[in-house]
Amino acid sequence: MAERTVVSPVWLGMEQQRWRRLTSTWMMVMLLLFPILLLLGAFMRIVQANLLPTLLPEWFYAVMTLHGLGMVGTWFVGAMAAVSYILTQYVRPSRKVSWTALGATLLGVVLLLATTLVGRFGVGWYFLYPLPFYPAGIWPTWATWAFLFSLAILGVGWTIWAVDLLRAIAQHYSLRAALAWHYIRGETEPEIPPAVLITTVSLISALSGFLAAVIILVLSFLEWAGTGFTNDALLMKNLIFFFGHVLVNITMYLGVVLVYDVLPRYSGRPWKTNRIVAIAWNTVLFLVLFAYFHHLYMDFVQPQWMQVLGQVASYLISVPAAVVTIFSTLLLVYGASMRWTLSSLLMYLGVMGWAIGGVAAVIDSTIAVNLRFHNTLWVPAHFHTYYLMGVVLMLLGFAAHFGLEVSERPENGRLAKLIAALFVIGGYGFLSMFYVGGAHSVPRRYAVYPQEVMQGVDYARIALGFIAVLFLGVLLYLWETGRRCALAFRTSESS
Amino acid sequence: MSQVSIFYLFVVLAVFIAFVFLLVGRSTRQVRDVAYRAADRMRKVFFFTLTGILTVFLGITLPRMPYPAHGQLPDQVVHVVGKQFAFAISETPIETDEQWEEVSSFAPPVKVSAGRLVEFRVTSFDVNHGFSLYAPNGQLLAQTQAMPGYVNRLRMRLSERGRYTVLCLEFCGSAHHRMRGVFFVE
Repeated sequence: MAERTVVSPVWLGMEQQRWRRLTSTWMMVMLLLFPILLLLGAFMRIVQANLLPTLLPEWFYAVMTLHGLGMVGTWFVGAMAAVSYILTQYVRPSRKVSWTALGATLLGVVLLLATTLVGRFGVGWYFLYPLPFYPAGIWPTWATWAFLFSLAILGVGWTIWAVDLLRAIAQHYSLRAALAWHYIRGETEPEIPPAVLITTVSLISALSGFLAAVIILVLSFLEWAGTGFTNDALLMKNLIFFFGHVLVNITMYLGVVLVYDVLPRYSGRPWKTNRIVAIAWNTVLFLVLFAYFHHLYMDFVQPQWMQVLGQVASYLISVPAAVVTIFSTLLLVYGASMRWTLSSLLMYLGVMGWAIGGVAAVIDSTIAVNLRFHNTLWVPAHFHTYYLMGVVLMLLGFAAHFGLEVSERPENGRLAKLIAALFVIGGYGFLSMFYVGGAHSVPRRYAVYPQEVMQGVDYARIALGFIAVLFLGVLLYLWETGRRCALAFRTSESS
Repeated sequence: MSQVSIFYLFVVLAVFIAFVFLLVGRSTRQVRDVAYRAADRMRKVFFFTLTGILTVFLGITLPRMPYPAHGQLPDQVVHVVGKQFAFAISETPIETDEQWEEVSSFAPPVKVSAGRLVEFRVTSFDVNHGFSLYAPNGQLLAQTQAMPGYVNRLRMRLSERGRYTVLCLEFCGSAHHRMRGVFFVE
């Protein structure tokens, strides 16, 4: 077996420049979509704050669908692109496949824009069956077809991308070695970088999620093609939530890959795979398959053993994350000769957001608690915490690192701290209104709050102030990092 | 535990995590070596403490699952059918679209006896809806999904008398926020 774990000379020179060009393209797409999608989220809070009283609610729900799908998709592809770049240190993924995934993503985005902003297709990001087939006079038939077609395009592009990364890993290490099972047995050769281990775990999970998505699409097409076949609502719900849960979780894990690989460069301490890391991530690979049951607690007909398994798996999956990744991050930074740059600050804060969001998620994964928190604002509260203040900060940290590394332009330290402060104040302030709303029984996904939960209007108004602070931070970030990524693209193009 | 109490518990835990991250972040002002043996011991303590706490919480919360217990009969049965965009709530079964229209539009609100075990049999005639009970003081007490092809049974003893509102807690389309139902506890 090959033992190479460092950059091969082959990868230097032109090939490295091509990867930089590809990665800077992905980063620019990510950084372009982020503020637009963020403004769509702000638009939703403006509507909920009753500041646009004449707006038809179907526009709120169409924007909600675009915001949700856009954010989930953007950060998934951003994480995949960043991890691909990191992996080129160790293995050889295909650039062509990544460019193809970019093309599929852009085509999917165009179709989603058409379905939501032209067709007013409003089903929420997880398009719970059979809602796409019950438009209630709002969206036309073509919008449903275009939506399913866009999912098929994205699904094919992303599946090929994930398979190619696994192919590259397997060609170099073998999948069994990449899962670091030999570390569990007490062996340390061949050396497996944490980035390879976590990516392998994430991508195997991803493929199981994509398989569920394929089944959903095939079953949907079968029903809608007029075959007389009708789907089972509970089966479809299980498939949809399995797919959605896995997609969101692996995006977070891919974000963690970036932390494992990039943060040590700023702390000056190595972060290597060991027995504990190997056990932890293999446990995650197993438990992530069962934790999704917590999305179906309120479906009382679901077999009770699945509900119990959902809570047990949801509780236990927090242990490896806390004891290994979060604890190790603190150990990596404690007393280190740390270079606090925009990248390291955002990554560190991202791990903190992951921890805080994780606590809120574990609370909600308690069946007895979920009875009163399910589909209230507590849900967007916790997933925005580990998304916006977790994986998004990790990815923004990576983009800042990439821009700095490639452009070689020095960073403005004061500006970096200001950006981080604006993210923390704006982000957690915005989230606090979701948490308070959830604690006071305000439902999620309401364009207009009825009399019983009118307090939601005040929470939305307060949240808008914090969103403005957050958006200022995002603009400053884009000024700092976006132009570096653009420079990286131009530099790689000319070389 | 009420929702607000759980919120305060979360705030305490979140502030604690932020405080630890702040302390560790500030520790970089003075460079020092890490005593890895001591750190490993601390990690083990953390592992067992966290696992222990989670196990205790599992032990406390799992017996409080809201699912109907076998062998226990309800004192009263209430049938609920969701359909874009209203709930029909009745003491007699609702089996057709016509019955749903009649009950959701014209029937007087159902009355439930305070303190008695009531079983809500909840289903849907179209998409997924969320059947949620809001007490007269506006607090969300419980919920279950209204799903086409299935009947979810939610059992409750409602002690507070007054008007209860049912809101939809599963996104169901363009008038989702207007979907509601009402019943009284007397």
